[in-house]
Amino acid sequence: MNTNSLAALLCGAALAAAAPALAHHSFAAQYDANKPITLTGKVTKVEWTNPHIYIFADVKDEKSGEVVNWAFEMGGPNALIRRGWTRNSLKPDDVVTFEGSLARDGSRLVNARSLVMTESGKRMFAGSSEGDEPPASTPQ
Amino acid sequence: MLLELRAFIAAAGVAVGGAAQAQWWLEVPAGNIPRTASGAIDVAAPAPRAADGHPDLSGVWEPIKTYSRDLAEDLVTPREIPYQPWAKALVDDRADGSQARDDPPAQCLPQGVPRLGGAPAPWKIVQTPALTVVIYEAFNLWRQVFTDGRRLAPDVNPTWLGYSSGRWDGDTLVVETRGFNGKSWLDQVGNPSTEQLRVVERYRRPDFGHLEIEITIDDPGAYTAPWTVQQRANLLVDTDLLEFACNENNRDLQHLPGGD
Repeated sequence: MNTNSLAALLCGAALAAAAPALAHHSFAAQYDANKPITLTGKVTKVEWTNPHIYIFADVKDEKSGEVVNWAFEMGGPNALIRRGWTRNSLKPDDVVTFEGSLARDGSRLVNARSLVMTESGKRMFAGSSEGDEPPASTPQ
Repeated sequence: MLLELRAFIAAAGVAVGGAAQAQWWLEVPAGNIPRTASGAIDVAAPAPRAADGHPDLSGVWEPIKTYSRDLAEDLVTPREIPYQPWAKALVDDRADGSQARDDPPAQCLPQGVPRLGGAPAPWKIVQTPALTVVIYEAFNLWRQVFTDGRRLAPDVNPTWLGYSSGRWDGDTLVVETRGFNGKSWLDQVGNPSTEQLRVVERYRRPDFGHLEIEITIDDPGAYTAPWTVQQRANLLVDTDLLEFACNENNRDLQHLPGGD
């Protein structure tokens, strides 16, 4: 696609608000919205599955230098597919900064709202489980 | 180059659902979709009519809110949910999320009715003269609404989604469903249901792009009176249902409080 077509696409399409993942379980019961967390890690595994995509990444502790594997829960594949993701959008060894909410039960688990690819600087919507945002349909 | 383009589009937050779907189904015949001069879908155009003269509700629909979280968010009547005391006590118990694991959809069990239609995932209505089928992306579920005049037996095997029949009241499709197993939470808030639940959904398509659904919860086992809520859905024309196998990798259950 040449730049003219891309410009036309971007101008023509309505900006969609972030869509919630399938809210089949309570976000608040599992995550603490008052505990926002940002972590940067190198992807070790991508589970491109329902009901939620899980990304595992090695995160280096700033102080100790210890590398610990964290899990990042995102929306389901369908929500992300409708936002332009494919199962190959994120791959092992990609370095990513995740922003989201920490799990309540003390596990190394984050519900990711969005992520930024370090190499390209691109910010990508992660299909957070929080059901606060309006659905994907273009507002009419 | 294509990967970078997709990442760029995703980063720009642009809805490219249409383009993403078209990748898999090629040469999709154009439907009878009314368009404005600019080529956008004319959502205000009249609703299409079926051959029998009734409005045709067929299409892929997406609720405008996640009604599955709180069914009473747009409560029409009465002013508050008319709980029976045990039901109120149960809802209060569930309010802090301490029983989240017991909510059937957390275990990938069916959401029940009307919660199934309140999920953010879209659903598709396929209307034919004697039968209307609703296919739900959520957990790959379906409902049949018989419109051929049949009646439901008094005693049926209880199910998650009930048994539905419908009749037209002018331009409104009135769907009655009963035969529930009483296990469903009507929403994430935890409003309970019993086997006595009877749900009435009144579907209207005021124009091409919109659906209005008035839903009455009539469950004398849990509530002292029926209560009615209003829901809306928008038509999606550039996407179709995608598969949702909930049990594929349900990691959340271990992190949710509640259970035995």
